[in-house]
Amino acid sequence: MLAYVARRVGVALLMVWLVATIVFLLLHIVPGDPAELLLSTGSTAPDPAAVASLREKLGLNAPLHVQYWDYLTGLLRGDLGASLQDGTPVAEQVALRLPRTLELIVTAAILATGIGIPVGVRAATHAGGLTDRIATGLAAIALSTPVFVIGTLAILLFAQTLKIAPAGGYVAFAEDPLRHLGLLVLPALTVAAPLTAVVVRMTRSAVLEVLERDFVRAVRARGVAPRRILARHVLRSALVPVVTVTGLELGTLLGGTVLVEFVYNWPGLSGFLVRAVDARDYPEVVGIVLTISALFVLLNLVVDLVNAVLDPKVRLSA
Amino acid sequence: MSLALTRRRFMATAAAAGTIPFIGAPTARAQATGILTFGLSSYPPSFAALQSTGTAAGTVKLMIHRGLLGYDKAGQLRGELAEEWGVDDAGVWTFKLRDNAVWHDGRPVTAADIKWTIESGAAPDSAAAYKTPLQLIEKIEMPDDKTVKLTFSEPFATAETLFAHYNMPMLPEGSDDEGLVGAGPFKLAGRERGVSIDLVASENYYRPGLPRLAGIKAVAYADENLRVAALEAGDVDLIEYVPWPAMGAIDDNPSLTLDVVEGPFMYLTFNGARKPFDNKLVRQAIAHAIKREDVVDAAFFGRGAGLAHLPISDASPFYNPQYADAWAYDPEKAKALLAEAGHPDGFDCTLLSTAQYGMHTSTAEIAQAYLSMIGINVTLDLPDWATRVQKGNAGDFDFAVMGTSADSNDPDGIARLIDTSLPTSFVRSANLDLPDIPKLLAEGRATFDSEARKEVYEKLEGIAMDEVPLVGLCWRAQGYAFHDGVSGFKNLPGQLTFYSGLTLEETALS
Repeated sequence: MLAYVARRVGVALLMVWLVATIVFLLLHIVPGDPAELLLSTGSTAPDPAAVASLREKLGLNAPLHVQYWDYLTGLLRGDLGASLQDGTPVAEQVALRLPRTLELIVTAAILATGIGIPVGVRAATHAGGLTDRIATGLAAIALSTPVFVIGTLAILLFAQTLKIAPAGGYVAFAEDPLRHLGLLVLPALTVAAPLTAVVVRMTRSAVLEVLERDFVRAVRARGVAPRRILARHVLRSALVPVVTVTGLELGTLLGGTVLVEFVYNWPGLSGFLVRAVDARDYPEVVGIVLTISALFVLLNLVVDLVNAVLDPKVRLSA
Repeated sequence: MSLALTRRRFMATAAAAGTIPFIGAPTARAQATGILTFGLSSYPPSFAALQSTGTAAGTVKLMIHRGLLGYDKAGQLRGELAEEWGVDDAGVWTFKLRDNAVWHDGRPVTAADIKWTIESGAAPDSAAAYKTPLQLIEKIEMPDDKTVKLTFSEPFATAETLFAHYNMPMLPEGSDDEGLVGAGPFKLAGRERGVSIDLVASENYYRPGLPRLAGIKAVAYADENLRVAALEAGDVDLIEYVPWPAMGAIDDNPSLTLDVVEGPFMYLTFNGARKPFDNKLVRQAIAHAIKREDVVDAAFFGRGAGLAHLPISDASPFYNPQYADAWAYDPEKAKALLAEAGHPDGFDCTLLSTAQYGMHTSTAEIAQAYLSMIGINVTLDLPDWATRVQKGNAGDFDFAVMGTSADSNDPDGIARLIDTSLPTSFVRSANLDLPDIPKLLAEGRATFDSEARKEVYEKLEGIAMDEVPLVGLCWRAQGYAFHDGVSGFKNLPGQLTFYSGLTLEETALS
């Protein structure tokens, strides 16, 4: 098990380095000069001398390999660099905003699994029935509707028409706990909608598949109560793919909450990435992508380890 | 011309602005009426006081800072840190500072601060929006602590609009690049980049009884739909940059007020280094080929008006009615001009715009459709805004869509858009050599007499109609919207719309 963990961690670190390098290089290939942008935002012609001076100040005149080397050595020291826009340390911004994105995702995951697993089990055990048809139908709608549409409709209905929820924004929990939770509801539900659909579908098909297996038939033949079969035998096997897919989906959500954060003005890390790209703030973009990819890789690792615990065959085959 | 003359003008403008009764009066704080939540269209990319960093940044600057001059609600110049100002026969501008003007930290505003701000803006490594005109100031004298005399290297008639611009605020001597200590009605209490800026009323503001608010929370809502939703849901009290599709619904909402002016405008720029855009006949053909009403309808939901001449408003004393329809839609004339230019069958070219802002994309699509009718086969280049800016600054385009507002309602306010002698920039045509235009712009800046200036700009517009340094497409309605409980806020007229943050000092909540 230890060798397995060590190998997985090694691969994970390699992945993070690769992502950091690719993003760093891609950003410098994309047109758009941060110094020029910083001085061009107000429709005023940037003074070439001022742009040159700002580029020098921001270290953008150094050759690319020097910038890359500085960046990598900075990373090894735990330094993600400083924003080109206002000079604040990227790590500080990440530390401020990442918890907000995680809060959104974790709340959504709790909602999605809390709703999705029981509904999926019920749909599988009553396959073809009304509950099954409603659940699979709603899941199909939730999966095929883009999150920004769900978000926009939710704002229109709950904030603008019914006026029972704020349209968007953020207040720290410490500042006003009730307001904070009020502002969390709609974005968390929006993030949860497609995730719940995935969980329902995965649970339903996994449970159905396990129910058909020989060992379940054998247990059933011994006269064990269906509820007990489900709890003791079916769910344990069926939840392996559900855990895998949910874990991977959570990783995807780290980047995928961009639109939700944008639609609801939730000041998390994903939405911040969009602004950083707009401003061509290289250190910020690389820092955020690096954080997200590191978390994604970490989540994969955790999913693999949990699966290895749930199913020893995973360890042997890896 | 003497100082006495402009003192009279000062008294007139001050009376119009309602400031005379307060001069010399002891500072008194009014009853604060709460914290106003202001929905900004974006979070300012920087707070650097002297740099041009967009309209949202301009609004925030007008909360924190004041310049020597400003504008009243009618759009008339008024004194801010300077209570009297004028120019003498030798062209030397004198500004007399208010006795009660104080920085947020309590230090008095002095002539040394003004001198330092001007010198900082004019420094070789400065990124100030008005570095070039500031560099024309060759001597700054301080006869006393409250008087500044500025001698320009050439006569400079537009010093008033320069020193009234929100990108030309005054700063205390020794400020850092951001310069977040000002002499404006509100002072910074906190901020989170990309999210919000908290401001509280300054107890040192020089206008007695103002500001009326205890503070402002400026929240950035980059998504225009959410900005409107936040207003309708009551999350914010006031929003800027009302999206055009939402104007009708806001107008119909009895608890909301929509305050709209026509000021900013859309236009086309050309690259003279790319054939056939070096040919004025081709530029004229394009000017006559596009039906402006369709741009207004498609890009601005009918909220605006056609613009078939230079962007000088018909409300301006410098408006020349004879040129009102100089570039009117006339496809037959456009085809004839194209034939005369040697392109009877049209040509292929690329139009640079951006996919990031719907109004820019829609404007480009309408231009493309109309130009195809005269044989010009246009391919759209719609990168993100950052790339569009860089391509414009590098002169990497055939012709391009642009939208902005002038610096002021003075005709010199469009100088940076039509002065072909300036370096290549995304806001104006590139590589066009039209020497008469910069010459007349310089003459306009050096002429103090209004009637004489009018003649200069009339001549300039005549040349521009022929040479086509840009093609005006439409005026666009620019709106603020607010709840009924908000009073005292006003969208300033014409090109001054983005100066409306000035009126936040008089804004109150009930």
